[in-house]
Amino acid sequence: MADGTRKLKVGFADQLRDIEVALPAGEPQPWDATTKLDVVGKPHPRIEAAAKVTGAARYTHDQRPAGLVHAAVLRCPHPCAVLDALDLEPARGAPGVLAVLAVAKPGDRLLFAGQDVAALAATTPQQAHAALARIAVRYSPQPFVVDTTAAMQPDAPLVHRAQVRERSTEGDEPGTPTGSSQRGNLRMSPSQKKGDVDKGLRQAKVTHEATYSTQAHTHSALETHSIVLRWDSPTSLTAWCSTQGIFSVRDELAEVFGLKPQDVHVITDYMGGGFGAKFGASAPGSRLGFIAGELARQARAPVALLLDRREEHLCTGNRPDSIQQVTLGAAADGSLTAIKVLAHGSGGIGTGAGVGRNAFAIYTKCPNIRVESHDVFTHAGPATAFRAPGHPQGAFAIELALDELAVKLGKDPLELRLAHNEHPVRRHQFELGRKQFDWDNKRKRVADERQRNTRLRHGVGVAASIWGDFGRGKAVVASLSVGRDGSIELRNGLQDIGGGITTVVAQVVAEVLRRPLADIRVRIGTSELGPSVGSGGSNTTSSVTPAVRAAAEAVLQQLRELAGKQLAARRPEDVLWDSKGARVGGKSIAFVDLCKHIAGEAIVATGTRPDTYGAYPSRFMGGNSVAIAGVQFAEVELDTWTGLVRATHVLALHDCGRVMNPLTCRSQITGGIILGTSYALSEQRVMDKRHGVMLNPNLDSYKIAGARDVPAIDVVFTEVHTGANNTGAIGIGEPATIPTAAAIACAVFSAIGTPVRSLPLTPDRVLAALGAIPTAAPARG
Amino acid sequence: MSDIPRISRRSLFRGVGSATLVAGCAAKTPTPAPAPGLDPAAPPLAGTALGPGPAPLRFTLNGAPQTLEAAPSTTLLELLRHQLDATGSKLVCDRGACGACTVLVDGAPQPSCMTLAHDVEGRGVTTVEGLATNNQLSPLQRAFIEHDALQCGYCSSGMLMSCQALLNRRGATDAAAVEHAIAGNLCRCGTYPNVVAAVLSVAKGGA
Ligand code: FES
Ligand code: FES
Repeated sequence: MADGTRKLKVGFADQLRDIEVALPAGEPQPWDATTKLDVVGKPHPRIEAAAKVTGAARYTHDQRPAGLVHAAVLRCPHPCAVLDALDLEPARGAPGVLAVLAVAKPGDRLLFAGQDVAALAATTPQQAHAALARIAVRYSPQPFVVDTTAAMQPDAPLVHRAQVRERSTEGDEPGTPTGSSQRGNLRMSPSQKKGDVDKGLRQAKVTHEATYSTQAHTHSALETHSIVLRWDSPTSLTAWCSTQGIFSVRDELAEVFGLKPQDVHVITDYMGGGFGAKFGASAPGSRLGFIAGELARQARAPVALLLDRREEHLCTGNRPDSIQQVTLGAAADGSLTAIKVLAHGSGGIGTGAGVGRNAFAIYTKCPNIRVESHDVFTHAGPATAFRAPGHPQGAFAIELALDELAVKLGKDPLELRLAHNEHPVRRHQFELGRKQFDWDNKRKRVADERQRNTRLRHGVGVAASIWGDFGRGKAVVASLSVGRDGSIELRNGLQDIGGGITTVVAQVVAEVLRRPLADIRVRIGTSELGPSVGSGGSNTTSSVTPAVRAAAEAVLQQLRELAGKQLAARRPEDVLWDSKGARVGGKSIAFVDLCKHIAGEAIVATGTRPDTYGAYPSRFMGGNSVAIAGVQFAEVELDTWTGLVRATHVLALHDCGRVMNPLTCRSQITGGIILGTSYALSEQRVMDKRHGVMLNPNLDSYKIAGARDVPAIDVVFTEVHTGANNTGAIGIGEPATIPTAAAIACAVFSAIGTPVRSLPLTPDRVLAALGAIPTAAPARG
Repeated sequence: MSDIPRISRRSLFRGVGSATLVAGCAAKTPTPAPAPGLDPAAPPLAGTALGPGPAPLRFTLNGAPQTLEAAPSTTLLELLRHQLDATGSKLVCDRGACGACTVLVDGAPQPSCMTLAHDVEGRGVTTVEGLATNNQLSPLQRAFIEHDALQCGYCSSGMLMSCQALLNRRGATDAAAVEHAIAGNLCRCGTYPNVVAAVLSVAKGGA
């Protein structure tokens, strides 16, 4: 098959149309809006679930290679200090200690409370922790700043004395602007802009200007960052790692220890959540890979380095806080003339405090937009990608500001949004949601309660998301084998973060080969199984499934040829393939019998995914990938006496390309909404400004939503055929969490008529907004 | 930690007698049987002091009698994970705040990170590994799979144990009762609604 153009039926709902796409040689005919599938698109429970409900699944924390010893890390207790002296010798003699390692050296300036200083390994975890106390260490504490606003002042203690290099991972949003300048603790990044925002503001008849702030938010995956590392020879090793990117771990370890990548074997059979923070062998703020490898070498034993919950909060990444000045301008008829956002945020000693694409790329009818976001360095653990980096905080500010403007304009906030959003799928979602949520009637009840000044209030809000299809071409090589015994095995060095990709991959194979799902064995979770992508940027399903399908189609081709020979077909097209096996005219052969004729052990074929070929109906930021749309409606219940807000209902309408497995896809969206609810209402990292340390580094004081804190959730898929790849899959992990907090904040505003412009929406802030208590302090680091 | 001494919960465990300590940990849900160590009238263990080194311990794990030695400072979770290689119960917060380590002690759900190993002397402990019988998944396990009540699965072991305890006492009367029973089980992936649906389906006799 040579390169060629093919016709595809793409679109959504009743808005379908034909497009032509150029396909590389060998690429299967893409599944489009006309394709009827039997296994893909149907709900299927996870095929690996039995291991998880019986406790048989072995996560990194559960690995016990023979002779395993345990590591512990000494961390800097000061937010900023010079290391004066470090003596490891007393620890070397402590009971059970097998290896000690200096990570920092005297003279080093340590930049946050929690930074690596030294490490050791001992026979038991208890011995390792006890021995840490024997390390003799002396620090000279230095001036520090952990508050974002304070760090922006010209006389603030300087965090970095040199230019900071950006660290980016597969969790980051591709195409985020780079190239920046640094002054004091400020690191300026290029802005997103179109038109002339100052002119737009001059033209405006109605303006709104306010400052919005959001908190630092930790990933808090239940399994902490962890690595178990064993040297198999002086130049090769095996690492079990709780990671979202097996190959990112392999590459880091190869680089750190000067090994060939193929001599680094990485295993992630199961992993207990990542949310963006788990790429590479190390954590963003701790050199776990280096420490485990060095200790294992010295101890001549495999080493487990498993962070505890406190370390997880301090040095493994977070979502930066933000302070966003938003200025909106509108003409008398309510059309937006300008959107201006100036944002500052702190990713601690790291970068990445941008506020995403929401203000720039959703309400695009506005002709003049400028969004600037700058990093502010503080003496706190580094930020890293966290489920839709930048977007939830950006959505919160722009959506609440729009609602405030809508009130000034006397407009329905939903109308204002519809009037400025050009994405056809999102328009569809706004309209659909309006009906299903009963928006118009609910707004009336909300206004009525506000008017009557009732104690208990209801509120409703709506907010949108934007994300891109970042499915990667040529990154995945999937291999599929069908054995003489009829066994079917798919292999790829992929990890399942909990999104359910293992099952989706099996569905694709089952669909192509027309075999029962239960007969498909999926082997993933080690670097030996062939190149794959990290689970980040919502790109797993869209990068992996097309490669799997290509492999399956190639195997099917060979099976059909074999059947053609067995059944004496005159032409290959005469072979009919179905769930029983092959048929030619009146002759047939069952699948298992056909497999017995395979020459050698098995038919094996590999498949890859070409670059994205179509992007219908709307391109992301003018690029080559499709813009993914989503809209969420939220309802809250608010007690004006206590200030307590409960999110009671969320209706989520999301574009997820072809829905591969509605059961797991729904779970993923539900999970995103619950994360967003938790971010909206309770989570915040609290830093002590006077001592520069985190005050709530465990789950008793860092409050994540429990079962009783979650709203009733309704999920509506707006299936879109984009023509992006041969399965039509695109991602959903990140979009699902983007608009939740924004919609909840808008709902609170509608309930009490006063905006609460800081997240989380805690009772003290609500009471302050109601004028019941003095105004609370704004952003908390 | 270096120049600022940090008192860890574990080092505190070492310094005090186990009876005092466990008396401080409240059971998180009403339980049919008295939780271990909570009975102030319980006699001292055989009248001999335990520790500081490993001391003999007997209990039943998922129906199988165990005779072993453990230091008195060892938590039940450490014993399970490190000495018995029963790694289904997870260590997440190590302070009773997340429920990932929940096991049943004589039928009552307990965070095993907050239970000393010696406090299960003579008792029956059930972990997630004990839910299936003869390789047959229990109705609750099947319902978890069916309703997709797990994503990464790291909270699932503890979640299952809290839910099983609720079912055992026939308490899964409605969604609120299930939410109450799992109020101490955190799930970062956001599976709560599916967990509730799974438990209610078992209570109603389906799976
Ligand atoms: S680990 Fe025991 S409750 Fe969290
Ligand atoms: S399934 Fe991941 S923490 Fe619950």
